[in-house]
Amino acid sequence: MAEAIDLLIVGGGITGQSAALTAAGAGARVAIVDMAQNVGSHANAGSLHVQMQSRFLRLNPHLAENVESSLPLYLAAVAEWDVLDEALGGVELTREGGLMLAEGADQMAFLREKAEREAKKGLAVDILERPELERIAPYLGPNIVGAEICRDEGKVNPLIANRKMNARLSALGVRHIADRIIGIEAGDGKPAAIGQARHKAAHILIAAAWGTEALTRSLGLRLPTPPEPLHMNITEAGEYAIKHLVQHAERSITLKQFRSGQVVIGGGWPARQNGVESTPRVRGDSLLGNVALAAAIAPGIAGLRVLRTWAGVNTPVDGKATIGPVRPGARVSLSLPGDAGYTLGPIVGRSAAEQILGLPSQIDPTPFAPNRWYD
Amino acid sequence: MSKTVRFTFDGEPQTATGSVSVAAALTGAGHTRLRRTDGDSARGMFCGIGVCQDCLVTIDGRPNRRACMTLLEDGMTVETQAARAPLSGPAPPRLKAERLSPDVLIIGGGAAGLAAGIAARAEGAEVLLLDERKVAGGQYFKQPARADAPAMDPQQADGAALVARARESGVTIVAGAEVWGAFDGPEIMASTATHVYVLTPRALIVATGAYERPIMIPGWTLPGVMTVGAAQTLWRSYGVLPGKRVAIFGNGPLCAQVALELSKGGAEIAVLGETAAPGWTQPRAVAAMALSNRALAAKGAGMLAGLRRRGIAVTWRAKPLAIEQTGAGLTVAYQAGKRHRQVTVDAVCLNFGFQPQNEILRLLGTAMRFDARFGQLRPDRSAVMETSVPGVYAVGDCCGLGGAHAAMVEGRIAGRAAAGGSGPTDKESAELSGHRRFQDALWQVYAADEPPGIEHATPETLICRCEEVTCAKLDDALKAGGSDIGAIKRATRIGMGRCQGRYCAPVLAAYLAGKQGRPLEDLSFFAPQVPIKPVDIATVAATEALLETPPADG
Repeated sequence: MAEAIDLLIVGGGITGQSAALTAAGAGARVAIVDMAQNVGSHANAGSLHVQMQSRFLRLNPHLAENVESSLPLYLAAVAEWDVLDEALGGVELTREGGLMLAEGADQMAFLREKAEREAKKGLAVDILERPELERIAPYLGPNIVGAEICRDEGKVNPLIANRKMNARLSALGVRHIADRIIGIEAGDGKPAAIGQARHKAAHILIAAAWGTEALTRSLGLRLPTPPEPLHMNITEAGEYAIKHLVQHAERSITLKQFRSGQVVIGGGWPARQNGVESTPRVRGDSLLGNVALAAAIAPGIAGLRVLRTWAGVNTPVDGKATIGPVRPGARVSLSLPGDAGYTLGPIVGRSAAEQILGLPSQIDPTPFAPNRWYD
Repeated sequence: MSKTVRFTFDGEPQTATGSVSVAAALTGAGHTRLRRTDGDSARGMFCGIGVCQDCLVTIDGRPNRRACMTLLEDGMTVETQAARAPLSGPAPPRLKAERLSPDVLIIGGGAAGLAAGIAARAEGAEVLLLDERKVAGGQYFKQPARADAPAMDPQQADGAALVARARESGVTIVAGAEVWGAFDGPEIMASTATHVYVLTPRALIVATGAYERPIMIPGWTLPGVMTVGAAQTLWRSYGVLPGKRVAIFGNGPLCAQVALELSKGGAEIAVLGETAAPGWTQPRAVAAMALSNRALAAKGAGMLAGLRRRGIAVTWRAKPLAIEQTGAGLTVAYQAGKRHRQVTVDAVCLNFGFQPQNEILRLLGTAMRFDARFGQLRPDRSAVMETSVPGVYAVGDCCGLGGAHAAMVEGRIAGRAAAGGSGPTDKESAELSGHRRFQDALWQVYAADEPPGIEHATPETLICRCEEVTCAKLDDALKAGGSDIGAIKRATRIGMGRCQGRYCAPVLAAYLAGKQGRPLEDLSFFAPQVPIKPVDIATVAATEALLETPPADG
């Protein structure tokens, strides 16, 4: 018989892994059960977001308040990435800031107002006019009139981060179970995750992103987590020149360059997915639109060629994290970043694990309690 | 008259004669080091057909141009490509965007594609044919780059005649066209130096051929080491020899053919090493070959006789072990039977079988089956060469090795069917099975003990030449628990480089399957993704103008 598990984590993305790192580091016997679909954290492109993403606001104007109130969590999240960078021995993390570009006076006005709101929440933001912007981002096109800079933002190389995280968890003795969990049993005794096998543990943490909805229905929650299949592109390596995470005030784009020289172009262009369990596929129109937009705002990249494209899945939920036991005292907990999962994963996973183990937490988890999802 | 073309390489004035690729011009001028890698190694032309991306140079300030696929122009400034090009190059040229919907679209202008085009035109269909090279003909018929150059031999003359027939029949041939996108529909995206295209044909015929498999041994990435086909293109298309003294190692009749051609061109063939045992040890297979196609068997026998007359002895059961850059050139250590030998040459040519270029088929989701004998995926096809995706046909070596003669029959059958004509005639069916019997016997004669995998690679041997992933690094990732090919890719970057896994994927898939005791199948390989070949950002941007409805961004 296998050794007893103190904490079973459903989902092997960055959130579940971070929870495992915290719990195993505190001496708990931890196992991660994962279905190896590999389209969340393992398909992520490594942006570390802090400022409010114009794209989310445009698509979900009714959730603006959730996003704005989460800004301190984003600040804690990037600080947690600094800790992780140190702990894992370097994940190509840079915190050189993020630019949100404007192409006209109205967009500049929007950014000014946004920056003011963000500054109140403690973000290090400034408005840059064209000359100042040109000095730090000479690759930009002439149509860009200015930008908001958020000095807290940055990027990591997710390939390196995921590999080093895996190695660290193995070294800590975290077990890895390959199974697809289809339900959670939470009776009076030990809870169990049900897949091909029945996995019992003293406590279960659901870190299953878009899979959360199906697993929490029987737990008395109505928590919609539709997957958002997204498109990404990567180029061959060029000289390191794009130091910031680049976004646009009105259009969907993220543009950044890894230290290794490749430029990653993404930002939420749709991919095609037939059902939550299928691997999303690249759409031709997204590829054309996304790359053409990148070429228009940053003509300096025109000498590079696109090498690969791929699709991954984001789980936006309601723009606010969900962290903690499904009911006070329950032995099943949730850790769901609620958009920007790769940025928020480490802090959300860590906080969830800290609550389960009764450790002091860096953030106040009360606003993120699952009670807003009670059926 | 061949005219002299002037250009510079890293600031030094150079000249070349006639119509040649940049790679051929540089080879002729003695320059084989064309780019630096991230690990600061030198690389040069390897595949010669636009696949490996190791001959990248900067031309007139524009980085990342393939020297093998770019025709030299008077006054060009060519520079060694730095590992990471600056993001400050000149603005790319403006490209004209066109959306076309031909009755039949053929991708690939080799034996299969040309035959398909002629047959489809005979049925009255409007036919558009895209070919990657400046001159159609494909790898078998390899045409000279200069239009007025006389044919070197009957094989080249037959090719010229086939290209001429295709043109006369009214096939529209777009040369220098790179297909980079394939989406359901089918919807094909392609580009030339001046145009970008979105193509939505009524029927699609994929005739993309194959590329050569190397052997992964220490030094296989050194400048001056190239595929046998690359050396053949240098000579047959551009009249340039890969070096004065050449070693050829590989498996199959192409090696002997190219040895003979280069020798006639004035090169010294220091070694012609063949993996297989000599044909006389397999009299039955030789007899079967002769029975199934007397003419082709005679051509093969003539080739071996020609080699003997020129004093070139085939070293049977030969296997290269390592290549090293020494003061005198490239020194190859090799095995000849049980003996170890070494030879020093200017150029080393390798061909250890072929890999079908089936990226378009895999992207369109055609059903594929793994052929263990040749280590290749082959698409399921009907009697008229239609794949499991209606309206998508596949012909020739992109469906697994079959040879140019079978490819032409397949092309005829598919071309007619795609244009709404009748199925194969009895004569065509008989011809096709004759060619297939010949191929079967041929590869029995040339049967090697084992396909060139990585089981015998040394720890420091590069498995992924683009991302410079060694065998040791790959083994570490396997030990760390990587189980599927995607996980190994993410952990090591193997297959993430410019050739998009074309060299490492087949051997890695076989290696993983072997270790895990699983059969190879479609899913054993990297998942197919666009772009099919690296595509200029400017090309993608110009193609966006052809979108019928602007996509919803987000």
